Amino acid sequence: MSHGIVSPAAQSNFLNHSKSSIPIASSMLAEASSCLSFNPHLPKLSFSLKTQSGSLRRGPIKASAQSLSAATESFYDLLGIPQSVTPREIKQAYKHLVLKYHPDVSPPERIDENTKRFIRLQEAYETLSDPNTRALYDNHLATGSFIAFSSRKPSRYKEGLDDYGTWRIRWQSQLTELKRRSMNKDSRDHMSWGSRIRRRHRSKTTADDIDRNSTIKV
Amino acid sequence: MAEPAYTVASDTETTGEEKTSSPFPEIAIGIDIGTSQCSIAFWNGSEVELIKNTRNQKVMRSYVTFKDEVPAGGVSTQLSHEHEMLSGAAIFNMKRLIGRVDTDPVVHASKSLPFLVQTVDIGVRPFIAALVNNAWRSTTPEEVLAIFLVELRAMAETQLKRPIRNVVLTIPVSFSRFQLTRIERACAMAGLHVLRLMPEPTAVALLYAQQQQQSVHENLGSGSEKIAVIFNMGAGYCDVTVSATAGGVSQIKALSGSAIGGEDLLQNMMRHLMPNSESLFSSYGMNEIKSMALLRVATQDAIHKLSSETSVQINVDLGNGLKVSKNVTREEFEEVNQKVFEKCGSLITQCLHDAKVEIEDLNDVILVGGCSYIPKVRNLVQSTCKKVELYEGINPLEAAVSGAALEGAVTSGINDPFGNLDLLTIQVTPLGIGIRANGNNFVPIIPRNTTMPARKDLVFTTVRDNQSEALIIVYEGEGEKVEENHLLGYFKITGIPPSPKGVPEINVCMDIDASSVLRVLVGVIMPGNPHPVIPVMEVRLPTVDDGHGWCAEALNRAYGSTLDLETVQPKKM
Repeated sequence: MSHGIVSPAAQSNFLNHSKSSIPIASSMLAEASSCLSFNPHLPKLSFSLKTQSGSLRRGPIKASAQSLSAATESFYDLLGIPQSVTPREIKQAYKHLVLKYHPDVSPPERIDENTKRFIRLQEAYETLSDPNTRALYDNHLATGSFIAFSSRKPSRYKEGLDDYGTWRIRWQSQLTELKRRSMNKDSRDHMSWGSRIRRRHRSKTTADDIDRNSTIKV
Repeated sequence: MAEPAYTVASDTETTGEEKTSSPFPEIAIGIDIGTSQCSIAFWNGSEVELIKNTRNQKVMRSYVTFKDEVPAGGVSTQLSHEHEMLSGAAIFNMKRLIGRVDTDPVVHASKSLPFLVQTVDIGVRPFIAALVNNAWRSTTPEEVLAIFLVELRAMAETQLKRPIRNVVLTIPVSFSRFQLTRIERACAMAGLHVLRLMPEPTAVALLYAQQQQQSVHENLGSGSEKIAVIFNMGAGYCDVTVSATAGGVSQIKALSGSAIGGEDLLQNMMRHLMPNSESLFSSYGMNEIKSMALLRVATQDAIHKLSSETSVQINVDLGNGLKVSKNVTREEFEEVNQKVFEKCGSLITQCLHDAKVEIEDLNDVILVGGCSYIPKVRNLVQSTCKKVELYEGINPLEAAVSGAALEGAVTSGINDPFGNLDLLTIQVTPLGIGIRANGNNFVPIIPRNTTMPARKDLVFTTVRDNQSEALIIVYEGEGEKVEENHLLGYFKITGIPPSPKGVPEINVCMDIDASSVLRVLVGVIMPGNPHPVIPVMEVRLPTVDDGHGWCAEALNRAYGSTLDLETVQPKKM
């Protein structure tokens, strides 16, 4: 029962029809992103990218308004400290949280979730523990662009932080897409039965178009 | 006759899946397989204990003798005489050869070992064989490691009276992820499940963290953060770490390491004693092997003596009319090995630099490993770290295995009522991981010394108009050119929509999870469309197999630069 939109036989079709499939994909994503945005600064991720863990496919995906509002959480919020703290206090807060969220000290069922949190904590700590990057971050915080900020090596090779935000958002949507597809473990489909149904409801004509042309049968 | 205790299903069989299963309630034991010595330790409920063999040894020689039908390792049997090594039947130093291709200089240097190491120099695995009843019996580094892992396991099972399955193994810092898969393979062959692979100096750092924690409990220590340099030099590898320790948490700040060690000191010394030895012994006849081994044993003895004496007289008859009779001073030994010692110093300097730690901020300098007894090594560590006193209270030969046993207990979720296991190591990546781009360059995506788990990404683009495919070749290492790094795998991105060069954004994301599994995710974005135009590729690495050395060259021959990528250049403001 595998009807892959990008199954090898249908691959050329997929490419030919990539234009017509865009609106579908966007509507899907619009729906998905509201609960599934891959933002490293979210405190609670209700899914996992690990295809191996199985948590992603098995567990229900919890859409929560909470995670959306928390997207505005700053590095200071993550570490649970006010913006006025001393470097020493930053280190203390970090060490305290590491003992709580490092995957090695996490119970097995929370490892995936805590791994994500640990990576964000690490990013927050690395940014705030260096006076230069902290000043830069504080500046971004003041102008409200901090969500797109990252302490790490700029994503564009040897480039400043300026252009970071736009591509990051795109990349997040890519990961969202990947996750959505990964949810369907048992078939080689890149789309679950449910999403195909939803898709049909949302844009009937285009979905039908795809059906005819790329061997998808619902 | 008893069945051999190990079974080898298939050398190509993948063992990756096992690694991710959840921890078992049993306590994992710690194993240190060194280039020349190995040991095994466990948490006995209150402290770490090394397991002794029937001859009351805690540290055993890492070699396997192939005789008759059943190979025997250095754990259970003892060479009737050191010179049994001369027969060509004893295989050792496999930690220097595991996961290396036959173009690797370390493999070529191993040709002076008294058994067969043969290369065809095209990037496949070297041919290794032991001389048994006047015939060369082939083996592999994985098989040799598996044989003494089985013996270590049997010894532990007898003494602990329970089955042993989970282990924490120590590994050199400079090992690539491909080499780690080979170590896991050897463990799987021995019926062992690898819970963790720990860079050797980080295992020592964990032991140090426990000692610091205990002294805080006993109100001896201040409890404040302590910065330590750990220098570990054994027979095959030299590794350094800088760690920050507080409250039982050992945070690794940086790692550096190289495949240099006592074996190099020994080979340089052999060349010094007998400059034409390599050409003399290249024919691998029975007599040549015997001569080679006699020279090796005599040189090793001399080096050991030079640790306590300032000069030593070497008199050895190598047979075939070959004799070495020479007085060697400690200065000569140090001069012959000057480059090795310089490299050791530079590893420390580099590690301190990467850790962003000033020498004045160092609290402790810890020196471990077999080479820590060499006066020159002590001097250079002391002078590089500007410390007169080295840290006492850690046994140089037992430190790594003890740290591994601690990690085994911690990872198995064992609680200690006295808080002796309230420990945590925060590891970093020992090598950078990236892809080939901008011509023949290695572009790291996760740089070395990145805290793990980690996730990083970088944007690339096409180099040609209407380039519909791109080759993603993943490497691990520090070299600027790809060929200086370890190949981990490769795959193609297809279906990039027609567009001028530089327009598509190829996002490459690398993810290392809590079990240290590496995944590469690649997506393609076109301007004006925020969503991926083709399905995102997700690949678990390494995907390369044995003898992969020629792969990169073959890819280059097949595709040239047609499927290249380059990093996105900064926009002009």
